[in-house]
Amino acid sequence: MVAVLGRVLGLWGARGGWLFAGVTVSVVSVLLGLALMALAGRGVADGIHAGTLFVGGGGLAFVMLRGVVVARPVARYLERLVTHEATFRALADTRVWFFGRLAERLPAGIGMRRMGDLLGRLVSDVEALDGFYLRALVPGAAAIAAVLGIAVVLGFASTALAAVVVVPLALALLLPPLLAPRAARVATAVASRQGALRAAVVDPLTGMEDTLAANAEARAGARVAAEGAALAEAERRVAREAAIGGAAGAVLIRLALLGALGWGLAMGAEGMAPAVLAVFLAVASAEALGLMPRAGASIAAAAAAGARLFEAADTAPPVSDPATPAAAPIGHALGVEAVRFAWTPDRAPVFESLDLDVPEGARVALLGPSGSGKSTLAALLLKLAAPAGGRITLGGVDIADLPAALVRTRIACLTQDARLFDDTIAANLRIADPGADDAALWQALDRARVGEVVRALPDGLATQCGEAGVRFSGGQARRLVLARVLLSPASVLILDEPAAGLDAANERAFLETLESATAGRSVILITHRLVGVERPTRILRLVGGRAIPAAG
Amino acid sequence: MARPLVIRSVGIGVALVAVGIAEAWLIAGLLARLLGFGDAGWPALVLAGGLALIAAGLGIAQERAQVAAGEAAKARLRAQAFSRLLDKGVQDLRPVGARTALVVDRVDAMEGYFARWVPAAMLAIIGPLMVAGAAGAMDGVTGWILVVAGLMVPVAQAGAGIGAAAASRRQFGALQALSGRFLDRMRGLPTLVLFNREKAEQSALGVRAEELRVRTMKVLRVAFLSSGAMELIAAATLACIAIRHGAVLGEAHPDPTAALFALLLVPAFFQPLRLFAQAYHERLSATGAAADLAPLLGAVGTGGGLVLETVPPRVTVTFDNVSLTYDSARGAALDGLSFRVGAGETLVLMGASGAGKTSVLRLLMGFARPDGGRIAFNGRDAMALRPDELRRMTAYVGQRAHLFRGTLAENIRLSRPEADEAAVQDAAAAARVMDFAADLPLGLDTVVGEGGFGLSGGQAQRVAVARAFLRDAPLVLLDEPTAHLDPGTEAEVMESLKRLCLGRTAIIATHARGFRAWGAAVLDLAGGRALGKQMAGD
Repeated sequence: MVAVLGRVLGLWGARGGWLFAGVTVSVVSVLLGLALMALAGRGVADGIHAGTLFVGGGGLAFVMLRGVVVARPVARYLERLVTHEATFRALADTRVWFFGRLAERLPAGIGMRRMGDLLGRLVSDVEALDGFYLRALVPGAAAIAAVLGIAVVLGFASTALAAVVVVPLALALLLPPLLAPRAARVATAVASRQGALRAAVVDPLTGMEDTLAANAEARAGARVAAEGAALAEAERRVAREAAIGGAAGAVLIRLALLGALGWGLAMGAEGMAPAVLAVFLAVASAEALGLMPRAGASIAAAAAAGARLFEAADTAPPVSDPATPAAAPIGHALGVEAVRFAWTPDRAPVFESLDLDVPEGARVALLGPSGSGKSTLAALLLKLAAPAGGRITLGGVDIADLPAALVRTRIACLTQDARLFDDTIAANLRIADPGADDAALWQALDRARVGEVVRALPDGLATQCGEAGVRFSGGQARRLVLARVLLSPASVLILDEPAAGLDAANERAFLETLESATAGRSVILITHRLVGVERPTRILRLVGGRAIPAAG
Repeated sequence: MARPLVIRSVGIGVALVAVGIAEAWLIAGLLARLLGFGDAGWPALVLAGGLALIAAGLGIAQERAQVAAGEAAKARLRAQAFSRLLDKGVQDLRPVGARTALVVDRVDAMEGYFARWVPAAMLAIIGPLMVAGAAGAMDGVTGWILVVAGLMVPVAQAGAGIGAAAASRRQFGALQALSGRFLDRMRGLPTLVLFNREKAEQSALGVRAEELRVRTMKVLRVAFLSSGAMELIAAATLACIAIRHGAVLGEAHPDPTAALFALLLVPAFFQPLRLFAQAYHERLSATGAAADLAPLLGAVGTGGGLVLETVPPRVTVTFDNVSLTYDSARGAALDGLSFRVGAGETLVLMGASGAGKTSVLRLLMGFARPDGGRIAFNGRDAMALRPDELRRMTAYVGQRAHLFRGTLAENIRLSRPEADEAAVQDAAAAARVMDFAADLPLGLDTVVGEGGFGLSGGQAQRVAVARAFLRDAPLVLLDEPTAHLDPGTEAEVMESLKRLCLGRTAIIATHARGFRAWGAAVLDLAGGRALGKQMAGD
């Protein structure tokens, strides 16, 4: 827990100034609160008891009171503003950092991790971290300042009185760390229940057609209700822990107050002044310490959220970049030499000893049934996975010695799961080449044989695609992602079933123009059959983990 | 909301205020004794200790009542919102992430409203009145000072609240957009990585987060202003009472205990108002959330219609001059389409993408309603049926089957949950799922992830075919079932599909040539119209 929270603080390092300012304003605000109550109490005590112990004190207390009455609300307002500002800045950093880490570590997709879970991780877990600062660090610092302040003020009057008041308050301060481990357990349960609920909602919404086709609406609803009930059960336990902590804290704070009164009763007249002061300070401390018992739950929740964030962020990257990258190669001939590869050690190897050459400007057609490793080969060439043996060269340089980003600027790939984003057509195309002008976009669209479709849209290039291109038919969406790859300035193109989703006429027309559409670039055409118009320079068939020359 | 839960919560709150007043009275007596007045002593101290314990117990009870109230309300809202989203079905084009945020986050945002706002609003009136009454009984002026202060609080809050409600809605809009964008970009992370765009997207995410910060701070600046106003009123009240009893009544104070009591009551007076202010922010965020949820909370089941008594064993499908337009800017999807598929026959719809093949299936699935013409099952108007009743008649295999998180067997059983083990096994065998499942260590009990991780496209498609076998419906609808498969797999899946269609009425939208070889009727479509029907064997 400590290590996780330490790392969270480390992530926030750049925002240290804001975070520290928030704590400082908060401490000032709490001390002003103590002063307000102490001065008011002293003024009344003076007034009632004028002439005995506080000669002239009453007047002075009231003069000071006026200043504090104004300063205190201003300090409170600033405290809230600065601490929230600091939290938001820190949290934005965390979000961006987390996305970047996932991009490094899960590039080939999210696999078994539930999408709903991941969404929950970024949005709610990152937000749970704010509780650590806002509800634990800030009130903790303020409460410590209050207890120290009370100890110092009362310490001047009587050590015994100081002890009677400060010991219960200090115990109330210790409650959060004492209660945190218990709270951590229940908070973990809540977070995982929340993830499960989210997944129960996401899954049927993602597979909407299949859910409806199976008349499974009621079952999906029952699952959401069941996950909701499980979450409520976990939340109830969290609330109970928090309520018990809160009650314990309130009793301890009362104990300090009653202790001061008891001390006064026992001491008689000579203890009067310090005891009265102590009573009012104890009353005022309730506000400073009131939030502390609940800080335990916040610490626990933040630690649990942080642990999950880091677990996802620390997944080992599938292929790490070389420490000292080789110089960028000039050419773009691809060579695959004796490559061995298996996705996991316990699964059958995809390639035993694969050899393949793609000279500059070549058009290689790669045939084979699904599961023969065509997509795996693309993943290896793009450094989404690393071969267990053998090597892959680009322009004569082993790609293991090149940064993945450099390899991916040279090689562009149309994968089977290429996606359209919920953005405009233009923005979706410019993912391949951010600087491309509209003319280049239209050229790519025409080459992918989707230009006419886009021209017919009222908004043209500015048309929103919807999530995963849902506003277009499957074939149109596929042609749009094909246009994106054709727009890319990369010198090697891997096209995995580029004609899927095209009807026969368009498929033929596209493949006929493939040569001109990809002029001067190397092309690896992954397909399960040739139409006969592709004019590849080589045809290879993937069989049993090897590439074997095949007849057209 | 369950009314008894609110009444219990308010009742406990009233008891807490009463205990607070009693505590203040005992402590005031003890303080007065320290100052040399009155005769309160150790018994009062013990009594005050006892009251502190009672207050602690009441606090725990109140929290329980609040949680229970919030829980009940959330469960109801969530169920309603989710069932409406399923009702809207495929017509709802909002990203899944945004829709999920509605059901999960937006409903959660409503909790504070039910758990705390309603009880707090009642206590904010009852509590301060009780305290002011207690103070007024001792000293009328003090009572009036408190009443005036109490009246100033809502005035200050209303002033701040008007701007905050609108700002709160904007903040929720930003949160929703952020969450939708993240899910969308996470799904396409491989695409972003392949184009080296992950860094750019990361900074775009940073920009969105920054926008969210700016929007949220706008809400909070106003919200904090209203709580700042209350702090000021509280501090000023404390000062007024201190001056009233310290400087004005002063030396010859008629009742020192009452003076101290008045002072100690100030925190107790503002406590319910403070809770009210906190809850007021929850009401504001709930208002924002409620505005987004409102469209989902209307009457459920707008797509009313007839209910099937039993699913007929055989069905003839007739389209008579059917037209359908999704979006007038993009033209008609179906334009006066007519055809007939007899019971047990198969019709293959062919045509370029956008020709209207999928639209035919969407109508038969109840995902869309025709703008004109008539669709009939066995001669009766099929559109009179409720959309989900329409789907009871059909088994469907789409382009890419969605595999839900669960075992293969659970995924197959989706189409007929009451099916027994043997039926699932038979369906798996018929769809040749067993060809690959037999090699998996857990067989049909292998867990597959959301999106079907670990299975190839062909394998996922076979699971979908197994679902269709298990469903055993009279009408089979296939939408490009082999579009993403290689020829070997395609041939295998097609062979299973052929057996599936045997003896059932089937409509297949495809442009795979293989289906032409089935000997079934083929209807070529273009621009939502039939180009002419080619009968089997022609």
